[in-house]
Amino acid sequence: MMIITSTGRIIAFAWKNFTRNAWIGLATIVVLVLSTLSVNILLGVNAVSDSALHRLEDKIDVSVYFLPETPPVILDSARAYMASLPQTKEIDLLSSDQALNDFKERHKNDPKILTALGELDKNPLGASIIIKAKTTADYPFLVEALQNPQFANYVESKTYDDNAAAIQRVQQISQSARYFGIMLIAIFTIFSILIVYNSIRIAIYTQREELGIMRLVGAGTAFVRLPLILSGVLQAILALLITALIVMTAIAFLDPKLRSLFDGGDSGLQGYFLINAWPLIGIQSAAIILLVALSSWAAAGKYLKK
Amino acid sequence: MIVLKRVSKVYPPDVHGLRDLSLHIKPGEFVSIVGTSGAGKTTLAKLLIAEERPTRGTIEIGGWDITNIKQREVPLLRRQIGVIFQDFKLLQKKTVWENVAFALEVAGETRRRIYDVVPHVLKIVGLDQKAHRFPQQLSGGEQQRVVIARSLVHRPKILLADEPTGNLDTMNTREIIDVLKKINSFGSTVVLVTHNREVVNALRQRVITLAEGRVISDQAEGKYLLPS
Ligand SMILES: Nc1ncnc2c1ncn2[C@@H]1O[C@H](COP(=O)(O)OP(=O)(O)OP(=O)(O)O)[C@@H](O)[C@H]1O
Ligand SMILES: [Mg+2]
Repeated sequence: MMIITSTGRIIAFAWKNFTRNAWIGLATIVVLVLSTLSVNILLGVNAVSDSALHRLEDKIDVSVYFLPETPPVILDSARAYMASLPQTKEIDLLSSDQALNDFKERHKNDPKILTALGELDKNPLGASIIIKAKTTADYPFLVEALQNPQFANYVESKTYDDNAAAIQRVQQISQSARYFGIMLIAIFTIFSILIVYNSIRIAIYTQREELGIMRLVGAGTAFVRLPLILSGVLQAILALLITALIVMTAIAFLDPKLRSLFDGGDSGLQGYFLINAWPLIGIQSAAIILLVALSSWAAAGKYLKK
Repeated sequence: MIVLKRVSKVYPPDVHGLRDLSLHIKPGEFVSIVGTSGAGKTTLAKLLIAEERPTRGTIEIGGWDITNIKQREVPLLRRQIGVIFQDFKLLQKKTVWENVAFALEVAGETRRRIYDVVPHVLKIVGLDQKAHRFPQQLSGGEQQRVVIARSLVHRPKILLADEPTGNLDTMNTREIIDVLKKINSFGSTVVLVTHNREVVNALRQRVITLAEGRVISDQAEGKYLLPS
């Protein structure tokens, strides 16, 4: 009986706290929303820059051009050997005939080049293989593997040397972008925690008179603390809902715009939030609710001592 | 009922609130505590409700040694002592009725008991007709009577009042003292801290005079000794 009465009353007190201190509560909610939002914005920026880097990395490949007179057996063995390496993600063999067709197709509006080509009695283009590595870090290894004496003598040229510098730069940028993003998120999280804690302290400070009276008339600890914690949690839930709404609206609005920047490809924004929806919601909700509850608990404790 | 043995209170770093003070107050007594400013009266009151802990000595209330009372037992002690402090105010946003009911609500009392007790204590202080007013709509004396009503909801054996008439005129002061006398006549022990010479002299009850944290006089039917 006593427990039911008390529980009901604690919830009622919490609700009263929540509604009556609406303005101060609003300030707390705004702080909570801004903090969560800033973390989510950073996550989104990270996701987009990540996918931009992936796209860049994806454009990287090594093309190996073989001499026109290379026998097909050698081409096949070269292709099979390179494909067997675990670092290889994708491999394409372009035969000399295909290369010629492609060339003609590309220059079909250029009669001069076509007639010049017609005057040759042999296909001047050799076959080529195009290799994509699993990660940019694998390219040096694959280039090394191309030194294989079985076919190295038939290799006319490789594009890797032209790309090496670019590959390294992309690698560096993506590394530091990721570190920077993580650091920024960490810093924002710490600031958010401090701001949220202080705004809750202020909100509770405005109720010190009531808390003092509660203490002097012999209110149990639960009666002082739980309503404050509960109304804090209510604010946190409201803030989370508002943040979710803003994030979803922002994604719906931004994703198509970003798509055009990515030549119609995926910007990674929506994908990131969709794939990680549950962990994101779970971790952020747990973190915010825990933060608010702990802050309220600590701030209320000041009025319980002695 | 209230027994203090060689109690000292030192506020850090070295301000002495009370020095080696011993006292014995029997059930049903009406005791006035007087003394100049800084004599230690409020310190004594705070020790009795465990708002402060003694530096040395022991305090016993109703046979309960509260010298080293645990934090979670403090609410239980507070429900046995009605407290009226000068700066211990009413909640302005609540009516008289709600202010009094509040003390029962936060102790987890049932609604039925609240509806039982609140009219009863309001009647004792003579405010049953003004139950639905807000504090601003009451005189200072009436407000203080609401505080007294609130302090009575747990039927305390002890009523502790620290300068309850500090801000009141003669008329209102008399009303408050009359209420305290009435509560004392029901059997509660009343400990009244006051600066008011007329009040003390008119009461003709025990008077304990403090100076610099010590008892300098304790008379069964005392007078206000200090020059004013
Ligand atoms: N929280 C505190 N911290 C430090 N010193 C304190 C504290 N409370 C009281 N004191 C000191 O203890 C001494 C006794 O103070 P107390 O408040 O008990 O006096 P009092 O008799 O109630 O005075 P008054 O008549 O002015 O209310 C004073 O010297 C005072 O400065
Ligand atoms: Mg005082």
